[in-house]
Amino acid sequence: MAEEIYQLSATEISSRLAAGKLTSRAVVEALIVRYHQLNKKIGAFTSLDEKDVLAQADASDARRKAGKVLSPLDGIPVAIKENIAVKGQPLTCSSKMLANLVSPYDAHVVEALKSAGAIIYGRLNMDEFAMGSSTENSAIQKTFNPWDLACIPGGSSGGSAASLASGLVPLALGSDTGGSIRQPASHCGIVGMKPTYGLVSRFGLVAFASSLDQIGPMARTIADCELLLKVLATPDARDMTCFDSTQRSQLPVATEKSLRIGIPKGLLGKGVGAEVAAATQAAIDFYKSKGATIVEVDLPSSELAVPTYYVVATAEASSNLARYDGVRYGHRSANAKTPIEMMTNSRSEGFGPEVKRRILLGTFVLSAGYADAYYVRALRARSKIRAEHLAALEKVDMILSPTVPTPAFKVGEKVSDPLQLYLEDIFTIPANLAGLPALSVPCGKSGHLPVGFHLVGAPLSESKLFAAAQLFESAHSFANQQPTL
Amino acid sequence: MAKGFDIDHLAKLARLNLTAEEKVLYSNQLTHVLTYFETLAKADLPVNSDVALVVTEKALRSDEPGMSLGSDAVTKIAPASHDGQISVPRVVDDES
Amino acid sequence: MSNEWEIVIGLEVHVQLHTRAKVFASASWGFGKEPNEQVDPVVLGLPGTLPVVNREAVEKSILFGLVVDAEIPEQCAWDRKNYFYPDNPKNYQLTQKDFPVTMGGKVEIELPGAARNIMGEHKWIRIHHAHLEEDVGKLSHSGSGSLVDYNRAGVPLLEIVTEPDLRSAAEASAFLNALVVKLTQAGVADCDMEKGQLRCDANVSVRRMGDTQLGTRTETKNLNSISGVRDCIIYESRRQIAQIEAGHKITQETRGWNAEMSRGYVLRDKEDAHDYRYFPDPDIPTLKISRETVNRLKKHVPEAPFDRQRRYIEKLNLPYTAASVLIADKALADWFETAVAAHPTNAAGIANWAANDLLRELSAQSGTEVGSDETPAVKISLDSCLIKPAQLAGLVKLTDEGVISKQQAKEVFTEMFSTGKDALAIVEAKGLRQNSDTGELEKIVAEVIADPAVAKSIAEYRAGNEKAINALKGPIMKRTQGKANPVMIDQLLRKLLG
Repeated sequence: MAEEIYQLSATEISSRLAAGKLTSRAVVEALIVRYHQLNKKIGAFTSLDEKDVLAQADASDARRKAGKVLSPLDGIPVAIKENIAVKGQPLTCSSKMLANLVSPYDAHVVEALKSAGAIIYGRLNMDEFAMGSSTENSAIQKTFNPWDLACIPGGSSGGSAASLASGLVPLALGSDTGGSIRQPASHCGIVGMKPTYGLVSRFGLVAFASSLDQIGPMARTIADCELLLKVLATPDARDMTCFDSTQRSQLPVATEKSLRIGIPKGLLGKGVGAEVAAATQAAIDFYKSKGATIVEVDLPSSELAVPTYYVVATAEASSNLARYDGVRYGHRSANAKTPIEMMTNSRSEGFGPEVKRRILLGTFVLSAGYADAYYVRALRARSKIRAEHLAALEKVDMILSPTVPTPAFKVGEKVSDPLQLYLEDIFTIPANLAGLPALSVPCGKSGHLPVGFHLVGAPLSESKLFAAAQLFESAHSFANQQPTL
Repeated sequence: MAKGFDIDHLAKLARLNLTAEEKVLYSNQLTHVLTYFETLAKADLPVNSDVALVVTEKALRSDEPGMSLGSDAVTKIAPASHDGQISVPRVVDDES
Repeated sequence: MSNEWEIVIGLEVHVQLHTRAKVFASASWGFGKEPNEQVDPVVLGLPGTLPVVNREAVEKSILFGLVVDAEIPEQCAWDRKNYFYPDNPKNYQLTQKDFPVTMGGKVEIELPGAARNIMGEHKWIRIHHAHLEEDVGKLSHSGSGSLVDYNRAGVPLLEIVTEPDLRSAAEASAFLNALVVKLTQAGVADCDMEKGQLRCDANVSVRRMGDTQLGTRTETKNLNSISGVRDCIIYESRRQIAQIEAGHKITQETRGWNAEMSRGYVLRDKEDAHDYRYFPDPDIPTLKISRETVNRLKKHVPEAPFDRQRRYIEKLNLPYTAASVLIADKALADWFETAVAAHPTNAAGIANWAANDLLRELSAQSGTEVGSDETPAVKISLDSCLIKPAQLAGLVKLTDEGVISKQQAKEVFTEMFSTGKDALAIVEAKGLRQNSDTGELEKIVAEVIADPAVAKSIAEYRAGNEKAINALKGPIMKRTQGKANPVMIDQLLRKLLG
């Protein structure tokens, strides 16, 4: 097992802190050293306030000394994606548009982490406004895959995945609209979960597509991921789409009967790389060997998922991002004679190409004369996709697939072809459209690059997914694997 | 389906200035994407969508006034302000 | 012109609901605060913030629906209306497009009568629906630039949309008056137009009498007073008629109104119409409205003002004028009914005091002009009124029983208003009790009759001139310092002259 502090899992740190074998300050100091060694190379963190995190660590150690430990996460660093509000810290969303914005409030998840005693540890790079699958759309910096610095880490939570894979932090928050947690998790060989829509409050998460966005935990092990989710998943009256305590209490109970795993019909055919297919098949075989029943499930509307997703997501985004106009906060163009000119110039200067592309697409699918053909049809398709998934999940406990069809690609390889990039999300998108929990679990390599498999469950079946993933993780050595850097 | 795709009109609706090159690039890319979306037009879909979440009145907020940021905090993050108000270039007759 | 043309009007009335906090945020709101002092992260549309609907705003909207006999749907939902403007913090407005909080309904209106004391025609105006949305901020313009204040942004607005049932500027005024009375009496809104709490868009078209098809309409935005609505409708209908008579077509357009110049102007034509790209707001789920809530709110629906007016006129025998004054203020009408309960035999007498003397004194006290055009809802406070309903009933009872004269009663009322004492106590203390001692009064009457100065009047009376008897009453009153009961004087005179 790992010996260096930066290699420890959060669960291990937590037990060493509890046993008095380690202090939070020692953990943070070790991570700061690691940060100075690697962050320039990886580009995962956009900022880290060393004085602040050390002060937080000292406060945690003092609490522990006084016997007032707040939770198992007390004293453990958690890094935060650039699109989640932390009071007094930048909330740039990796965009030039919000380069100067300092958040005057905390997101619900940040409040939850603070009251659990966790250390709010630095900010993580992402695709601008979470739009992208490679973190190449960040206006701040590039992030590289720790397993191969010539490759992208995935995205949009690329900074989160890369920071975990390179041992810069034990826990991180990501956000997932179409796969933005799970796809980089797969590309970087870590664990990432997108919870059931409504399990985690979106208050303080900068919206990309409100009906699809969820904040989720990212970690190197299943146990860590579950530990972090437990802290995040609390009711919040400030988000009307967030479950209240009554809804939460209707959690499915884990059953004793053997696991039933659904495999989508024709899964490993189109576009899935050979090594990805092999690793996925190995995972399926593993579950079979453990007594699971493998069932083929029919999800005929899956081919509609990508267009449906891009219509819904860009429509919502075109409206969500309308507020960035240089009037109240953010980038304001220096040359404009009228307010509308000022707003137009500010937006044109502040947004990057992918954001503009998606705003234009979203504006189009909602515009007079086209909304019925695109937006309204997409909502109907979404209904159908959801119904098919819920029906399949009546028959099986979870649906297994690769997380991404192919491993991480080279930096710059796909920037000119948006559609090719959009197809990266083909396996992850349905869970967002259907509001289902989904998890990416490391399961092998394609060449030297990690790949993961993907589990989707019924609403609120997170614990079932974690249990199944734990079964796999315990029998393999993919957890906490770290690249040589 | 992508017929009538008017990049100038869209740019105006979205409040974006596009250069001539950008117009060509985005038009081509979006046309390509929309062509791929043809599957949506051909698909056999339910008549109504039922994706909207439904909540009861329990989810509503009580009418208790909360904290204000205050005009200092508002003007502090604003790019330009004057006497507690946010300033913008002068509005000309109904630009909206 | 009025014989040849029919004017068709529909109104969209925006009313700020009576709540403490904003509709989707917890920031407070109210008139007269420094700019941007009532702004929180949600109001400002800071990234990451989310709307949460204010229960009171929903319930006030439902109450409005119940007040106008609307249907309260099982569910309502919010949509985004997308347009860029600096006063619109998110560059979309949360509104209700497809599933409003109330559907249908009707409002009874009363047109002005031929004279103030004659009741005018009544008519019902249908409501199409009402939806709950958020107000925008305020822009003001200075020489070099414009300034934005977001205090008003997020204030709950109920937009009440009528059917095109109104046929004249007078009907539109009557509708707004009736609506304001209903909204204020139910506590839905304060409707203070000076504070911009009620604003109106007017859709106007004209057609030749007898035509069944509607003419092309124009929409004039942002009228902020009832007189503005009236003037705008008169202006716009005349303009349209002149256009058509000159052989032009009416263009469907959005117009503005310059109240100072009393002129309308074109804002934008149909070609420039906004593409608002409405879609369901993904942050606010569809809201289920329980029937328990609707039934609970039904108990807060006050009696409809014109039902009350009919009851006063038909059951309590009030004159129209007094009835119409009383029903305009719910507190005053309630006060009046409490008084009537204490002295049920003379409701008209009590109404006369309440609608005239009491209201006059109260408004003099508060400095408001009663029933002016811009304050159709009489704003007086009965809280500080020292006279209690039963006390006014006591005063009326004393006059009815002949204990004091009407003249004396005025004096007693003035004292009651300033001290809050019972009428009887004032009468006793001032020794105002009307002289009803027959013996003493008969003596005085006899003395007056004996006075040669009145001999001529006596002769005329005896010759058959009934009115001549009145000339004798003055000197009797003078001798009794006004304390004599006039009815008794009359009886005694007739007896002694008999």
